Amino acid sequence: MISVKNLSYSYNEDGNFAVKNIGFEVANGETFGFLGPSGAGKSTTQGILTGLLKLQDGEVLVAGYDIRKVQNERFNKIGVSFEQSNVYGKLTAKENLEYYAKLFDVPTRDPMELIHLVGLDGKENVRAGEFSKGMKHRLTFARSMINNPELWFLDEPTTGLDPAIAATIKNIIREQAAEGTTSFLTTHNMFIADELCDRVAFIIDGEIKLIDAPKNLKLQYGQKLVDIEYIDDSKIVKETIKTVDALERKRIGEIVNNYEIQTMHSKEATLEEIFIQVTGRELVYNETTK
Amino acid sequence: MKLLSNYLKEMKIAARGFYFYIEIAMAVILLAILLLVVSETSTSNRKQFVYNDMPQKIAEYLKDKSIKDGDARLTDATEFKLKPVEFVITNQETGETAAHDFDDEKIIKLETIETLDSSTGELAGTTYYAETEEDMIRLAYGESEIGATAAMDARGKVSYTYYLQGYETDKLKSLLYISHSESPSVINAKKDKQVVRTLGVMKTLNNRENLVPVFLVFAGSLMGFFIVLAYIFYDKAEGVIRAFAVTPSPIWKYLISKIFVILTTVVVSSSIITIPVMKGQPNYLLFYIFLIITTFAIASLGLLVASFFDSISKAFGVMYAIMIALLIPAFSYYIPSFDPLWLRFFPTYPMLQGFKEILLNGDAGYVLTFSLVFLAGGLVLFVLADKRFKKTLTV
Repeated sequence: MISVKNLSYSYNEDGNFAVKNIGFEVANGETFGFLGPSGAGKSTTQGILTGLLKLQDGEVLVAGYDIRKVQNERFNKIGVSFEQSNVYGKLTAKENLEYYAKLFDVPTRDPMELIHLVGLDGKENVRAGEFSKGMKHRLTFARSMINNPELWFLDEPTTGLDPAIAATIKNIIREQAAEGTTSFLTTHNMFIADELCDRVAFIIDGEIKLIDAPKNLKLQYGQKLVDIEYIDDSKIVKETIKTVDALERKRIGEIVNNYEIQTMHSKEATLEEIFIQVTGRELVYNETTK
Repeated sequence: MKLLSNYLKEMKIAARGFYFYIEIAMAVILLAILLLVVSETSTSNRKQFVYNDMPQKIAEYLKDKSIKDGDARLTDATEFKLKPVEFVITNQETGETAAHDFDDEKIIKLETIETLDSSTGELAGTTYYAETEEDMIRLAYGESEIGATAAMDARGKVSYTYYLQGYETDKLKSLLYISHSESPSVINAKKDKQVVRTLGVMKTLNNRENLVPVFLVFAGSLMGFFIVLAYIFYDKAEGVIRAFAVTPSPIWKYLISKIFVILTTVVVSSSIITIPVMKGQPNYLLFYIFLIITTFAIASLGLLVASFFDSISKAFGVMYAIMIALLIPAFSYYIPSFDPLWLRFFPTYPMLQGFKEILLNGDAGYVLTFSLVFLAGGLVLFVLADKRFKKTLTV
């Protein structure tokens, strides 16, 4: 669905590259996470893929179209959910969706269905200018589905949303994936990437450091651990034991046989820990997006 | 269909904003000014205060004569309030100065005679006759009008001493001098020897109509320039242009829908101003063709300017400079002697002249020629704006 080869981009065309010679492929039906901190080159890459930025160097195929050639009809297959909400404040939620629906040449979804899907029931006739930031974000997200996109660009789809609404949005993304929609998810939130993505790419300073499935990354880079809490002389004792070490595995047996176990959890390295391990850089994200 | 959808959406947004109503309200205010404040004909009711330093009977005889000749008419006496005042009068011939200091306050009634235009019979001036020279001087100073003392010498010839404000032109001073230097019979005799040949009858707009082209250009097209910028920057602030850019609809449809909204408002506001004043006089087909094309060109200029900036505050300097530049041809419109060649290259110059020709039912060739020029220029500006917007979608 997406094929990128030797892509480079410089905003001032002065040799300072926001994206440096990157390449990747996204298969049909795949949810692909593009992860990195602010300024890593995520938005630049998405800008090029969506046609908002002009392709300078490299080859890019999106939904079967060579983006070097101007072909507006490709947008019939594409949906874009922007990080910053961008809806008409003077139009109601329904009018916003109805207007956008008319801009496409393909069958579109019922605006009321989308309004219901993102939990804006009862707000369809309220002007978007009166919406909270979260409500505007949900409307922007709903708008990106109006044309039943085959390829869906999602830029920080849960940013600024409360956990319940964020869960709803994540469910919608999963449902779309189950129906075969290809998603290109740009985020600096590793938890969402871990939950939703089939594969992730780590991008930093305009370069892709690694591409793989979250599960494979955890297997490759993570240490398997077990956290045990048990009671010894009326006191709660905590131990973290590495399961790869034979002696330590034996210790788990001793604890289980001799003490009263309070809690016992196996533990994997998080995607964030792997990101730090691979890139040497931390991701910064807003608490509300966790 | 997409274009119609864009246009309807833009009209809905415009109707829910205040710019649309500002333009319509402005047109209504301008129409009210034209109909209620501006008269169709220009009147110059020159006022002067006169003290007759001559025997009462002679003064009365001179006044009665001009009334009988039909040059003047006696009206009700006019009341004036004289306030305490200090001023200095300089004699222009000798350079001598005389200080005047009045500390009293009084109300006086002056005999009033209105002088009439000999050709039209309309009011041309009003003369107030003061009983003392002091009152005349105080009134001339207080009312900022001309004052005069009319005196009769031993030979029976009337001489005038004028009290001016100091800012009058040399032309007026010469006129006052000449008008009393020769007897009217001599002037008329000389005048009768002049042969006057009429070369043609020039059609002109009356006072009220003459303001319509200016209102059309500045309240219509220039407001369009400003409002299209305002609409674009509002959309940029909301980020909706980026959302539009990821739909199959081309950017030019978004831009042209903005221009259509401006055209709608300008056509409505210009009709509000023009139709009640001009009635059936102009060629309205030509009028609307010229109005639509010039507005398209100026709005396209607005789009191009908007493409270089991401907020109205950043664009303000350029926007202001362009608006001032577009206003300059108005000076030439009102001061025909100020008509340098370079001014003709300002787009508002042919716009003003074009609207004037349409309202006069004059040179349609001039109007159509400039319609083509504006159409070509507008298309170039629109294409450039489209290219700029495509390049700056992430702004």
